Amino acid sequence: MSTDKNTKQVDLELRQFIKNLGYIAGGTALLITVPWLQSFTTDKLSEIKNEKARVAILGTGSRGQYHILNLLRIPHAEIVALCDNYPPNLKAASDLCPKAKTYTDYRKMLESKDIDGVIICTPLNWHAPMVLDSLAAGKHTFCEKSMALTMDECKAIYEAYLHTDRVLYFGMQRLFDEKYIKGLSMIHSGLIGDIVGIRCHWFRNNDWRRPVPSPELERKINWRLYWESSGGLTTELATHQLEVSNWAMKRIPESVVGMGDIVFWKDGREVYDSISLTYHYRNGVKTTYESLISNKFNGLGEQVLGHKGTMELEKGQYFFEDVAPAPGILQLINNVEKRVFSTVPIAGPSWVPETASKQKPHYVIEGMVHTTSGGSMVGAENDGSDNLISAFCQSVITGEKAKDIVEECYSSTMLCLLGNQAMKEQRKVDFPDEYKIPHLKF
Amino acid sequence: MKDIVITVRRQKKELRILLICFAFSFLLNIAAIIIYKTSWAEIITQIGYVIIIALALYVLIAIIRLIVYLISRFFKKRK
Repeated sequence: MSTDKNTKQVDLELRQFIKNLGYIAGGTALLITVPWLQSFTTDKLSEIKNEKARVAILGTGSRGQYHILNLLRIPHAEIVALCDNYPPNLKAASDLCPKAKTYTDYRKMLESKDIDGVIICTPLNWHAPMVLDSLAAGKHTFCEKSMALTMDECKAIYEAYLHTDRVLYFGMQRLFDEKYIKGLSMIHSGLIGDIVGIRCHWFRNNDWRRPVPSPELERKINWRLYWESSGGLTTELATHQLEVSNWAMKRIPESVVGMGDIVFWKDGREVYDSISLTYHYRNGVKTTYESLISNKFNGLGEQVLGHKGTMELEKGQYFFEDVAPAPGILQLINNVEKRVFSTVPIAGPSWVPETASKQKPHYVIEGMVHTTSGGSMVGAENDGSDNLISAFCQSVITGEKAKDIVEECYSSTMLCLLGNQAMKEQRKVDFPDEYKIPHLKF
Repeated sequence: MKDIVITVRRQKKELRILLICFAFSFLLNIAAIIIYKTSWAEIITQIGYVIIIALALYVLIAIIRLIVYLISRFFKKRK
C-alpha cells in the first residue's frame, strides 16, 4: 500500500475542530482544559510541513498493522523499520510497507540511527522493558495502552519520563476523539449539572482467541488470556473508560471493590471473562464498570450521570432529566382526541409497568457521529487513534512533549491493576500512597 | 358558464365568520395555557396551530352552512 497524494490528511478535521473549539469557547481558555491538544493546532502543522518522522513499529501484530495503515496516511510520517519475533506478523507488516527494514531483535533495532521514534504494540508484559530501553536509546516513544503489567513497572516508566527529554505517548485515543473532547467540555461547562455517578460497560461475544499454528505458541499468541502477560479485561478494555471517568471527574478514585470470574470461556485461560468493579471517589461518586465477553447486547458505553441530565459519550448524545412538556394546545387536542376516539378501558393504569421516560436525544456533534460497537479486537475506525499517532509523529519532529498523556495513562492503568487486585483478593483496595503522582487530585 | 360574483357583502360576511373562528381558536389556546400551566409565550409560539384550528373550524362551519343551505333549498323547491 502506498500513500496516495490525494489522500485526505488524517488529522485535518480534528485540527479544524480544535480551532473551532477555541473560537467558540473563548480562545486558549478551552485548550487549558485539554492540555494535550495545545500543540495540535493547524499552526503547528504548518511548521512541520516538509518534515517526516522516521518511525519504527515494534510489534507488528494486528494492532501494529492497524497503526501502519494509519501512518501510511500521515504526510509527516515515514515507517523505516519493523520488528517482531513472530515471522508471520513481520511478513504481514512488511507487505504493507516493503521499504521498511525488518528486525527480529528490538534491541538491535534501537541501535539504528535512522529511527527517530518507536511505536510499541507488543503484549503488556513487554511494555515496561521496551519503553525504558527505547527512552534510554534516545528514541521518542509511543506505547499502546495500558502502561505496564505491574504497578512498579508503571512507576518506573513515570520516573523515566520525568527525567528524559524524549517524547513519550501512550495509546489513550479517546483524548484525541472529537466526540469525547466536545462531550467532556460540555460536561465541565455544567450542561448536565453535578456529576452524581458514572456507568461504564464493555460487552463482547467472542473468546478473544487468535488462531495458534502449534501448541507451544499458545501463550505467545493468546497472551491476553494469561496473567503473566496480561491484565485481562481491565488493562485491555477498562483502561480507556476509566481514563474517561477520571477526565470527567477531574479526580481519581480512592478505592475499588470488585468481582471477577470465568463464567463461560472455560478453556484453560487464566484471566476473567466477566468482571464487575466499583470505583469510589472521595466525594462519594462511584464509577461502576462491567465487562463480559460472552454477550454483546449492550455493546460499549460510558454514561456520565448528572443531576440535570445524562451524557452518553460513546454515542455522542445527551439527555436532560426534565423534559419540557408539549405545548398546552397540543395537550388539549390530544386529550380531546383520546376521549372521543379511545375504546372503553377494561382495566385502569395500575398494571402498567413503570418505565423510564422516553426522551429526545441531543447530539454532541451535529451530523454524523462515529460510534463503535466495541466488538473489534483490532481497533475501531475514527476513534482518535489516527489523530493520536499523527500527534506523536508531530512531536517526534518538534521534540515537544505532549502534556498529561503519560499521567492520564498512568492513572488509568493503576486503577486497572488495583481493580485486578481487588478481584483477586476479594477485598476493598485503596490507592496506595507510594504510587500517587502529582497529577489529578483525589 | 356564468361569471361568479362575490359581493362585498358576502366577503364581509365570510371574513366575519373567519375572524370569529380565529378568536375562538385564540381563546382556546389561552385556555390550554391556563389548564396545562404552560408558558404564556405559547400565545406567540403556537400561533401556527391557532391558525390551523381557525381554518379547520371555518371549513367545518362552511360544510354545516352548505348542508343547511341545501336542505332549506330542497324544502323550498318542494313548496
